[in-house]
Amino acid sequence: MLDHLFDGYTRSILIFTGIHIIAAYSFYLPFKTGQVSLGQAGFLAVGAYAAGIMTQKFGLPFPVALLIGGLVTGVVGVGVGFPALRIKGIYLLLLTLAFAEIVRGVIMTWEYTGGAGGFQRIPYNAYTLDYVYGLVVALIIFFARLERSSLGRAMDSIHEDETAAEVMGVDVVGVKLLAFGLGAFIAGLAGALFAHHTTYVDSVTFNILVGVNILMFVVVGGSSTYWGPVLGAAFLTLLPEFLRMLREWLELVPASWVDSLLMNRIYNFVHEFLDFENEKRLIVYGIILVVMMILRPDGILTRDNLRRFRFVGRRVGHV
Amino acid sequence: MLYQQLINGLMLGASYSLVAIGYTLIFGVLNLLYFAHGEVFMVGAFVGLYVVILANTNIYVALLGAMIACGALGILAVVASVRPVSKDHPLAQLISSIGVTIVLQNMAIYIFGGQQVAFPDTIKQELYRIGPVIISSVQIFILVVAVVLMALLWLFIERTKMGRAIRAVAENHETAALLGVNVNRVVLVTFIIASSIAGIAGVLDGVKNSNVSPFMGLEVAVKGLVVMLLGGLGNVMGAMVGGLLLGMVEILSAAYIGTTERDFVTFAILILILLYRPSGLFGTRTTEER
Repeated sequence: MLDHLFDGYTRSILIFTGIHIIAAYSFYLPFKTGQVSLGQAGFLAVGAYAAGIMTQKFGLPFPVALLIGGLVTGVVGVGVGFPALRIKGIYLLLLTLAFAEIVRGVIMTWEYTGGAGGFQRIPYNAYTLDYVYGLVVALIIFFARLERSSLGRAMDSIHEDETAAEVMGVDVVGVKLLAFGLGAFIAGLAGALFAHHTTYVDSVTFNILVGVNILMFVVVGGSSTYWGPVLGAAFLTLLPEFLRMLREWLELVPASWVDSLLMNRIYNFVHEFLDFENEKRLIVYGIILVVMMILRPDGILTRDNLRRFRFVGRRVGHV
Repeated sequence: MLYQQLINGLMLGASYSLVAIGYTLIFGVLNLLYFAHGEVFMVGAFVGLYVVILANTNIYVALLGAMIACGALGILAVVASVRPVSKDHPLAQLISSIGVTIVLQNMAIYIFGGQQVAFPDTIKQELYRIGPVIISSVQIFILVVAVVLMALLWLFIERTKMGRAIRAVAENHETAALLGVNVNRVVLVTFIIASSIAGIAGVLDGVKNSNVSPFMGLEVAVKGLVVMLLGGLGNVMGAMVGGLLLGMVEILSAAYIGTTERDFVTFAILILILLYRPSGLFGTRTTEER
């Protein structure tokens, strides 16, 4: 449906942006209860492989496979969530990282799906763009409702102070497990969508940097509001593309503007400087990350920003 | 056979130890998972390589060069990416260090290219037979350097005033500051030490494998994390012993179970420790549960 509106390059960028947003939400949900996971890449992998097996080996239609991929991942997520209940902070970070690496190990040794050679010839899904953005919209609505529901407030209270939440009668174990499992479910969907777009996945596709990236999306976007993951994923995915486009825009400058020797010099210097081949682009990306964290350690968007935005001229008591 | 494997494990473990020491020192004083540490290791390897190639000198100069360059890198990292980021935001600090990781790795690819580069032989290969074990001159060199380095570090931490300050900050930030320890300086010194040790470890790794690549940092970074946890967060001695232990476990599981299953074993150990002994095998020096 949305497919014909864009050329291939734009479409591919849009799809990856969308999948990154979904993955960022999969991190955001457990994060809402204070659980920081570096292992979302592992869940993406489980979803990708589970759904891929369903379509490629059993010939199931994509929507069914997508759902199965999500559910399988959700179950795995609850399985990881149980031990995760006992630990927090850096220990949880390392536990989830270890989980993701173990998943990669399984992928590499499992001959059924190609082992280290990768999972090949996964059926291509022509409607990925529609699925991805349908899911993104659904997730935004879900998180908007969650924020105002008692469950969402229970999650926030666990994030703030687990003991206090428990004393107030919040089912801490249940809510944390639910958040972790549901987060894994969302990650599974993202993985399944990804696999049926690229039609090939292997253990490198889901390496540790993927999990790190997902964490970055949320923290850079702003982890205190549900708009943060959208903004962060979109910003960080489009930033390298934006840097690449800068040079093309520069080339739009009419030749008559840079007629003089001085202007020509400047033009050439800037043109040279903007030659963002792969590494240079990523160097700038890394620098921007550091600068962002110095200037806005809470992320681009915070709850206070939004509140101010929403209640202009209507003073609402600050909590 | 078994003894031979143990020697190989010791070799692998030595570089894990040296990297993990840096991790654990930094974690101790800052409560920060300093992600870029593996890339510092990689930079050290390249500096060593270029000192050997360009200056055509022996390996000791290369070690010294890598040490100085990485120490400087440590200062730069603190000034540019650690100090300016708010301490109340652990995730922001983590991401800032990830930003440094990305910058360092891609700079290396930009400057040196994305391929493996051969590390020239700087030590004459000779084989010695000690009882049932065959050990090469390169292996002896690496082991000696690693052991000397660890011994010096141990002396520094346990016997000097600065070492005591580092221990004090690791135990409790605020109390140390109240007692007159200059925490900022301690952090800086810690970074310099950790980074220069990682630089030396990088050169040793280059010597051992006869090649270096811009991607060599990532695996070591992950293994270093495992070792840090194995030894107990912030526990320097633990990191030394833990690294050797993990090296041996990896070599033994590669020899007796299979090479692809090797990483399984590593991460299974990690998970077991996280669940049953989160303070590591030898206890932890930091009190905060971060």
